Amino acid sequence: MSNPYEVIPATIYDIVQESPLIRTLRLRPDRPIRFKTGQFIELSIPGIGEGPFTPSSSHFVSDVMDVTVMKTGFVTEHVHKVRVGDRVGLRGPFGTWYPLEKFEGKDLLILGGGCGLAPLRSLFLTLVDEIQKYKSITFLAGAKTPADCIYKQAATEWQRYSRVRFVRAVDAVPAGESWGEDVGVVTTLLPKVSMDTSANPAVVCGPPVMMKFGTFDLLNMGFREENIYLSMEKKMYCGFGQCRHCVMGRYYACKDGPVFTYAQIKNEEGLWD
Amino acid sequence: MIIKVDDVMAFLRSSALAESDLFKEVILPLRLKVGDKEVFFLARLDGSDSYFLDGYRAVDPIKVLFYGAREQVFPVAAKPVRRLIAGVKACDLKALQLLDRALINKDFVDPAYKVWRDSTTILSVDCTEAGPACHCTLVGGKPYSEEGFDLNLSRIGDRYVLKAGSEKGRELLDVIKCTTEAVDVDAQAEKAVLEGRAKMTELVQNQNSDFRRSEEYTGLRGGDLSVWGQESRQCVGCGACTNICPTCYCLILNEEGGSDTFVKVRSYDSCQWQGYARVAGGASPRPRMRQRFRNRYLCKFLYMPSNFQTLGCTGCGRCTEACPGQIDFRTVVRDVLEAPPPEPENPLGPNAQERREI
Repeated sequence: MSNPYEVIPATIYDIVQESPLIRTLRLRPDRPIRFKTGQFIELSIPGIGEGPFTPSSSHFVSDVMDVTVMKTGFVTEHVHKVRVGDRVGLRGPFGTWYPLEKFEGKDLLILGGGCGLAPLRSLFLTLVDEIQKYKSITFLAGAKTPADCIYKQAATEWQRYSRVRFVRAVDAVPAGESWGEDVGVVTTLLPKVSMDTSANPAVVCGPPVMMKFGTFDLLNMGFREENIYLSMEKKMYCGFGQCRHCVMGRYYACKDGPVFTYAQIKNEEGLWD
Repeated sequence: MIIKVDDVMAFLRSSALAESDLFKEVILPLRLKVGDKEVFFLARLDGSDSYFLDGYRAVDPIKVLFYGAREQVFPVAAKPVRRLIAGVKACDLKALQLLDRALINKDFVDPAYKVWRDSTTILSVDCTEAGPACHCTLVGGKPYSEEGFDLNLSRIGDRYVLKAGSEKGRELLDVIKCTTEAVDVDAQAEKAVLEGRAKMTELVQNQNSDFRRSEEYTGLRGGDLSVWGQESRQCVGCGACTNICPTCYCLILNEEGGSDTFVKVRSYDSCQWQGYARVAGGASPRPRMRQRFRNRYLCKFLYMPSNFQTLGCTGCGRCTEACPGQIDFRTVVRDVLEAPPPEPENPLGPNAQERREI
């Protein structure tokens, strides 16, 4: 059996500074890493440390991988210092994925905010690769300010697909910045969505407070608990249910998640913390 | 098979000799006086005379011999060494069964743990004494082993009754037979073993008669958070209880490579430490001590059973002994279970009150 702690080295071939605090590393692993959209990997900076991140590229691509990282702590500070040509390490993939087969023929709602857009970009790019399988995709994306919006080219590119509706909102527009789209927290976009909520799936990923109130809003709109897919962020340290840091009651976020349905985990303690 | 105690010790000594090709390392309990107490430490067999197979469990759990406090796991540094660990008590053996399920399963095999596990022979011994904090009988345990060992020793007078529990154990028994004087187990010896075991079980039961048994522990989850606050007021969050627990295996994985190499080292972590479950950005599901304190109990009695179909507590009492705040596990469980039930559940969730306090 292979060593689960094994690190696959990767070379950074490009870096996209998405916003002041968020950048996307574009990596070429020494050997292809096949994953399913929604799964996560552990990204190591040699001699510094590692952290869990979700690839933000399509799962149909395995020779290169995009990883979008927000500067928020010790390891991510170093992720924001690396340069093109540097070597980083990857472990994984780990965890569960979005059940694409359950989305087929459905109107899918995707609700995301901030750095939570990273796995959703992966999901979206994977979906549009086989767009004919899905009835429609409504993607609601939030950010704090226009400057904090990530995947900036995406708005125009992603709108190209006839079955896709991509709507953005920012919480506020500071003086000196301009914004021609919606203003308000991303959940304020929900009333604009008209779709049959009783049988269609919704995917949520973002900061904990957004996940919490987004989920409650979806439930109020009539989405069913088992059709709401959450990407949970806990401290996934090892990736395979050994270190126990990400335990949520009887579940491990790393092994039984990160993709859970709300029905699965609604009674677990510390869900939204 | 029945063998004299002195002969078993002589065999262990001879198997630890450099020229013996049986084992490269023999580890067994050393009996030492610390203050006015006699305690046991796991030690490598050498010239000392203070080795003592009986008694009760050692200060350190045998976890430390299979799952190091700090171990390089990529590239794997553990090299198999044929070793014998003797004098293992039932509580530690039971803990090893939980660790086996956690660290060697269909989804995951910890490479270092597997190396140590595969290269070790375990010789367990029935308890002949009970430590002041011993409480295996409260959590479904017994002061003697019925499974999980390669070879088990039950003391009757100045002799041991030996029983093999695995192929490795049967082979070892054959080797012992060749070098020592052994007689077959008769009905009288079997009866003596049962009597000794019953006596020990009674002893542990008696010293814990004031405390609650694990069948009732599912009630821990419903307990009022304020009771946990009361119980944890002496807790300084040092993590001694989790580090010394024979079933705690939470780890930190450190990256200790150079500029272009990757080296992964795992060390013990503790759910009692504040940074344990903290995620990027600073949020934590358990920011307060009382929540982390409670988490350890729920992990042992609710989460681990649902993960591994066995309690996370073997009743060794090390957490109680190691606690600088003198918190007795058994008293906490009793107090929480006996506290009046909390007010009807708040619709905002079980931690709603806690949130308001923060």
